Amino acid sequence: MLITSIGQGLLWAPLVIGVFLTFRILDIPDLTTEGSFPLGAAVTVSAMLSGQSAVVASLLGFLAGCVAGWVTGMLDTKLHMPSLLAGILTMTGLYSINMHVMGKSNVPLLTQRVLTNYLPVAWSSDVQTIVVGLVVTGVVMALLIWLFKTRLGLSLMATGDNPAMSAANGIYTDRMVILGYMVSNGCIALSGALIAQSNGYADIGMGIGTIVIGLASVLVGEIFLHGRQMWVRLSGMVVGAIIYRFLLTVAMGLGFPVDDLKILSAIILVVVICLPILRTKAKTRQQLKRYLKQIGADEHESTTSSLKRQASPEGLLSRDSK
Amino acid sequence: MKDVSLTIAPGDFVAVIGNNGAGKSTLLNTIAGTLPTDAGELCLAGHNVTKKSVAYRAKWLSRVFQDPKLGTAGELSVAQNLTLAQQHTGSMSLHRYRRASQTAAYRDLLRPLNMGLEDRLTTQVKYLSGGQRQALSLLMATLSQPDLLLLDEHTAALDPQTSRQVMALTQTIVETNQLTTMMITHKMSDALTYGNRLVMVQDGQIKLDVRGAAKANLKQAELMALFAE
Repeated sequence: MLITSIGQGLLWAPLVIGVFLTFRILDIPDLTTEGSFPLGAAVTVSAMLSGQSAVVASLLGFLAGCVAGWVTGMLDTKLHMPSLLAGILTMTGLYSINMHVMGKSNVPLLTQRVLTNYLPVAWSSDVQTIVVGLVVTGVVMALLIWLFKTRLGLSLMATGDNPAMSAANGIYTDRMVILGYMVSNGCIALSGALIAQSNGYADIGMGIGTIVIGLASVLVGEIFLHGRQMWVRLSGMVVGAIIYRFLLTVAMGLGFPVDDLKILSAIILVVVICLPILRTKAKTRQQLKRYLKQIGADEHESTTSSLKRQASPEGLLSRDSK
Repeated sequence: MKDVSLTIAPGDFVAVIGNNGAGKSTLLNTIAGTLPTDAGELCLAGHNVTKKSVAYRAKWLSRVFQDPKLGTAGELSVAQNLTLAQQHTGSMSLHRYRRASQTAAYRDLLRPLNMGLEDRLTTQVKYLSGGQRQALSLLMATLSQPDLLLLDEHTAALDPQTSRQVMALTQTIVETNQLTTMMITHKMSDALTYGNRLVMVQDGQIKLDVRGAAKANLKQAELMALFAE
């Protein structure tokens, strides 16, 4: 079960990394995800059915995601739309595009060689999936780690952190935001391409709930691995993707029907958002108790309640938590 | 603002004062590019930048904001912030930005601030105090040797002592680098003490523009009288 989760998690990892790029680096909640994920799948499957190799088709899926990200970026920066709305618009438009690319709502692969077929037949399918996931996620991570060591990567981080200061220092922030959207949605579409090959089909509905999956995995990953260095943060995203898959597998093992997985995803997201808040609250209460013991006044109901109210915990999703 | 014509000569240190709502910030934001001009022209170092973006103007312009949080990127380290400020071009470059030789150079830059920042190059800026952040902003703004340095009430958010410290630092940096500077301030004493030129803005117009000896002889009481008019 764990082995399967690792394999599936690695296929989902590019999506989580993509969501991380917009959500954490640029500080934008990007809903394009729900459209670019099936777009990647649709483009890849269609390309493979028309004779392209799995590698070329997956790259085409990545590029299609970049284009989707570019559209959202233009809506956001040039037309000054709120980023949530920009994402919703692209996502909605992509539904039609995906239908056109696929021709019908579900397109199965026939005898085409998917990425795992390049590996020795003797290996079990779990091992094949893990190897493909490791290679693709590894390449994505390596490229991003390199990017964030360059001046361009630094400009990207600065834009997400403080746009006013970045512009004052000569960074064209619009370009950076658009670039961020493009890379992010490229990764997300790549993930869609991998999942489609793993499932053996592309489906118009496979994007539903992917933003929740992405956000939950980002938060889960940050709970398990947190650091400032980019390779640590990106590894955290991979870990988050795997743990999230594992949780879903466990839930299915407990007998939850597949239809209930979406609500489970939503619940997991709520839980991982609340966990740190509860933890901060508990910590504050403990500190307060210790402090009151120190000054020898255990029964100070009035101070306790007023201090409790003051200690407002920081939510993981709150944009001003810095 | 209406019918404003202001020419700042190289090497000028202009102090701008005025009531709340008089148009000081509008003037500064128009120069910086955060506010568009309805009419007229704006030239920086001989280039017409009237319609250009904030980022484009950064070739000639640097700015220190009133809020210390605005001038620096809190999530990034001291060294990363300095890197961003060092060159206002090449933000799209794919070259590695961190080099060992630069660490030493950054330490040398930070030491004169006397704030212990030279030992905290890898600290995230959000953990610095307001004074430290503002001093860093000031250093960053002057690192690229701008043709015009804009100071937007940059000591207003600091406590009196830190405010004095940052003001003294400003004077030193401006003098050593011979920077052309425009400083908005609410403190009349600062406007009188610093700079070789004083501009008073009222009702969107430039009401007073004195320089050199005339400015040096200007008394606080005279200024107060002008304010009251």
